[in-house]
Amino acid sequence: MGHSVVAVWSHRSVLRTLVRRDLTLKYQQSILGYLWSLIEPLTMALIYWFIFGLLFNTRLVSGGSYPMFIISGIFAWAWFNSAINESTGALTSQSGLVTTINLPREIFPIGRVIGRFFEFLAGVPILLACAVIFDARASWRTFVALPLAVAMQFILLIGISLLLSALTVMLRDIERFVRLITRVLFYAAPIIYPLSKVFESTALPRWAKELYLANPLVGIFQLYHAAWFPLEWPPRRILITAMIGCAAVAAAGWRAFRKLEPSVLKEL
Amino acid sequence: MSMIRIRDLGIEFHQGRRRHMRLRELLFYGRKRMPHHPTFWPLRHVSFDIAAGEAVGVVGRNGTGKSTLLKLIAGVLVPDEGRVSLGGKVAPLLELSAGFAYDLTGRENVHLVGALHGITSAQMRKKFDRIVEFAGEQVQRSLDSPVRHYSSGMRVRLGFSVIAQLEHPILLVDEVMAVGDAEFRAKCYDTMENLLAEGRTLVLVSHNEEDLTRFCTRGLFIDDGGLRADGSMSDALRDYKEAVSV
Repeated sequence: MGHSVVAVWSHRSVLRTLVRRDLTLKYQQSILGYLWSLIEPLTMALIYWFIFGLLFNTRLVSGGSYPMFIISGIFAWAWFNSAINESTGALTSQSGLVTTINLPREIFPIGRVIGRFFEFLAGVPILLACAVIFDARASWRTFVALPLAVAMQFILLIGISLLLSALTVMLRDIERFVRLITRVLFYAAPIIYPLSKVFESTALPRWAKELYLANPLVGIFQLYHAAWFPLEWPPRRILITAMIGCAAVAAAGWRAFRKLEPSVLKEL
Repeated sequence: MSMIRIRDLGIEFHQGRRRHMRLRELLFYGRKRMPHHPTFWPLRHVSFDIAAGEAVGVVGRNGTGKSTLLKLIAGVLVPDEGRVSLGGKVAPLLELSAGFAYDLTGRENVHLVGALHGITSAQMRKKFDRIVEFAGEQVQRSLDSPVRHYSSGMRVRLGFSVIAQLEHPILLVDEVMAVGDAEFRAKCYDTMENLLAEGRTLVLVSHNEEDLTRFCTRGLFIDDGGLRADGSMSDALRDYKEAVSV
């Protein structure tokens, strides 16, 4: 694994070129350009606020603003969701390139993750504006939680995208499967509801709660919320579970990619 | 000193596609041979060395692993057995319009494909005019329109122009001279001769006897997954013709 990490790093200028190409292609043909990457998560936030905030009257224990709670996680989710969905086609959609120029193949899925990260960055000003509007206070936690959450999400996404890009070559129907899984994951992480609801739930058996907490997304999204809601700061156990989870997924994804690579190249 | 060193090279392909494999099989067995799937070896137990500056032609019947050999040397296929060691980087003239983004302009694509091949932006500033000039008048006129509107000949010309400017010591050429009009072909021949005169190493796959004897001082004949002849280009061609006529 170390060897191929070095190979990717030494090709970072090619990676930059690929990311720039993808972003240029994506935005040169739409009038609204990068605004699209903001409109989508904001519309989703509006919907969830309408259903869970207005109709179900969700309140945060900490007493903060529920719309801000949704927004603090929704842009990160948009990154996660689009990066995963686009990583499936990272090798198949540019097979001509992959099978002609000898580049570390890892850069194709990683490039997709980075490309979508820039769209996430485009949402950060909106996030800050919302923080002002909804009177959420920045503290030292903001400056610790956000970078940490982003770093963890990066590591997690790289692992998942490596695995998915290679698997898609062998099993084309994986794309549909992935769309379904991401939908499940959205509700299986505390993005639009506070984590305390899961802890409080009496309907959920103990094992189900343990399973829920094993998901590294739980720790990551708690960090995104904790940037603006101090009481949401994840307990150490959840944080460590998430860190180990991200590292394990990244290592497994990288390993699977190395293992599948020879067969993938034959199939492309 | 050998520029390309190939030892006991082998690669195994699966007959039919593996796309319907089960997830479990795939993750647990990886690339190991699996039961139920018939396989064949387009190349096996192939060993040879190519010295720096040599020009080697590869002949063989269709589907006998010539292109596979080039892809293995180019590093875009991973061998199942043996290994390929190279003394330098590879300029692959395999699929000339590979890497083009059809929605970008010709100008943008020159920068894009150049960067993918490892040309730095400083180098590109120096080479850009030469690349465009080489691609011909027709391409020059449409340099700022999307490559989508180019004819396939124009795309190939632009692709060739970029790769011909690479300073990589190893050239891999797969039938590309068959494309393009007579004028462009003449240009390609000149370029190839210049590159060879500079001391580059060439591996050429072709069915065109004229091209092969023109450039290549050594010939390899591949048949049935193995190296059947390794000698002068004319010897390799003779063996190849014999094998075909039988």
